Amino acid sequence: LYSIQKEVIAKNVSGAHIMQELDEAVTIGATVPTGFEHTAAEEVQEKLEATARVSKNRGRIYFDITTDTLFKVHQLKSLDNLFVVVKDYDDYQFKTTKEEVQLDWQELAAKLPWTNALEVWKLNNSIKKRKGRRKRTNPTKSDQCGNFSTKSTDTVPSDPEELWVDLESLEVKENQRDVSSQPEDDSEEEKHSEIQDQESGVTPLKFRVTCNRAGDKHCFTSNDAARDFGGAVQEFFQWKADMTKFDVEVLLNIHNNEVVVGLALTVESLHRRNISHFGPTTLRSTLAYGMLRLCKPQVSDVIVDPMCGTGAIPLEGVMEWQNSFFLAGDNSGTAVSRSVNNIKHILKRTHDGGSSSGLPLDIVQWDLCNLPMRSSSVDIIITDMPFGKRMGSKKKNWELYPLCLREMARVCKPGTGKAVLLTQDKKCFLKALSQMEGLWRKSHTVWVNVGGLHAGVFVLKRTAVVFGTTSEDVMEPHTATGSQKENMKDASQ
Amino acid sequence: MKLLTHNMLTSHVKGVTKGYPLIIKATEVKVNELEFNAQFVSRMIPKLEWNALIQAAEWLGRSQDLPSTLIPNYENDEEFLHKVHRILLEVEVIEGCLQCPESGREFPISKGVPNMLLIEDE
Repeated sequence: LYSIQKEVIAKNVSGAHIMQELDEAVTIGATVPTGFEHTAAEEVQEKLEATARVSKNRGRIYFDITTDTLFKVHQLKSLDNLFVVVKDYDDYQFKTTKEEVQLDWQELAAKLPWTNALEVWKLNNSIKKRKGRRKRTNPTKSDQCGNFSTKSTDTVPSDPEELWVDLESLEVKENQRDVSSQPEDDSEEEKHSEIQDQESGVTPLKFRVTCNRAGDKHCFTSNDAARDFGGAVQEFFQWKADMTKFDVEVLLNIHNNEVVVGLALTVESLHRRNISHFGPTTLRSTLAYGMLRLCKPQVSDVIVDPMCGTGAIPLEGVMEWQNSFFLAGDNSGTAVSRSVNNIKHILKRTHDGGSSSGLPLDIVQWDLCNLPMRSSSVDIIITDMPFGKRMGSKKKNWELYPLCLREMARVCKPGTGKAVLLTQDKKCFLKALSQMEGLWRKSHTVWVNVGGLHAGVFVLKRTAVVFGTTSEDVMEPHTATGSQKENMKDASQ
Repeated sequence: MKLLTHNMLTSHVKGVTKGYPLIIKATEVKVNELEFNAQFVSRMIPKLEWNALIQAAEWLGRSQDLPSTLIPNYENDEEFLHKVHRILLEVEVIEGCLQCPESGREFPISKGVPNMLLIEDE
């Protein structure tokens, strides 16, 4: 039975048989920005009408679909990477010696239900081909014609912009996998890269195993698991292992006693979709999208990003919520022109006919501490505030944050307005916020991981208090009265 | 720059109290189609400074018989809503400047982007 199964799989995968479109149910796993698992689940429910389960392993959700809707999954905006679940175990009993664990992997590889997952993987390749390819990143050719020419991967950028792109994608990839904070945790990822001789008549697929492991009771490392499981997979399928030019990426996710084996469906993370001109601190599209969902934009809402950088947030906003109006601004001329270029890129992508269609979006160059806007004209303020580490400095944040929050309170509609603000400098932000008690009220906070830094997305409601009527918004010099007020506030907390 | 944006922008030059609306001096204007949504337009109208919009349309030579005061029951007047949609969202100032009505200070518009930055002591 074992060898028949292998043959059937090999035939199917090489395309010797016509693949039937299964409208079968499959489980898809997706990685999302940590902290936004629930907004991602909301999007899945809304667009696929599927109920998503949030994994205990942070930053992951799972949901069931039928294969005819796989292309829709690619259109979701909350998801970073996708994979199809081969099998998942929620209480895998690991043996206590490395040798035993290795034997277990071998046994496991042979008995996993690979067929359906591989069908999905194959279907997915045809979907990706239809979508077309973006300029950059490693090629993902499912090269089943035996083309072994090793064209070197795209490491030489043709222009400075591309260089930014590669650095950005590297940096983000490394930080994408979030680890639990226990010190014993060991969650490196390891790529299996041995090459083995091939004799079968059918050109073998190339594969690699990526293992993420977290938990303090394992007797092995993710290194060990990737190597051993990879070896077992190789033996079973007679595929060729290749770390960089692989067709199939097998994912082995181990989180304590939860084991999930999957096949990757995305190579390039979906989160860079809108930004073609990067800046040094561009926000992931999936994170921008998650933040926008928190705002719940309504028809005719005026949504302002007063520190838009290269425009990640307003661009994501305008693609999804076309019945709101987005106004983005920045004081940097470079940022502004990058945003403009990113808009043009989107327009080109969505309106190929060359028609001059517009978007409900405008960009202004301005100083956010002194916004050239009418008071109470804005429904939602959403932005990524300078972190102090990569842009600006912590000292400047002490001055900047109170001024920002004041101006935002002035332009935001009393009573109905809201703000969704991302910042890593939580202490500074909260202090500045406490000085504006009359104007803003904290609604809730989502803790996220941005490029390895712990940050918070603060959701604020604008109170009904009209700007200019409370003592907080009058800039008082630091007098005895002032510090007395401070002490009283601290005492009451 | 669309006229919807212009409707919200104001001069913030120090000491100026009558900095709204900014005078539009356009040297290049484009019309870009945008999908019409009646609900969007009818909900946006009450948020606008209507006089400023009429004024802006005039500066661009596109008054297009928009009434100087809002007619009652405008929410159900499709033709009217279409006109407002056009002037708010489809007419874009690509090059030109915005001038503060009180101080005379000019803010350039280039590639559709107004530059509202002030120098240090303005």
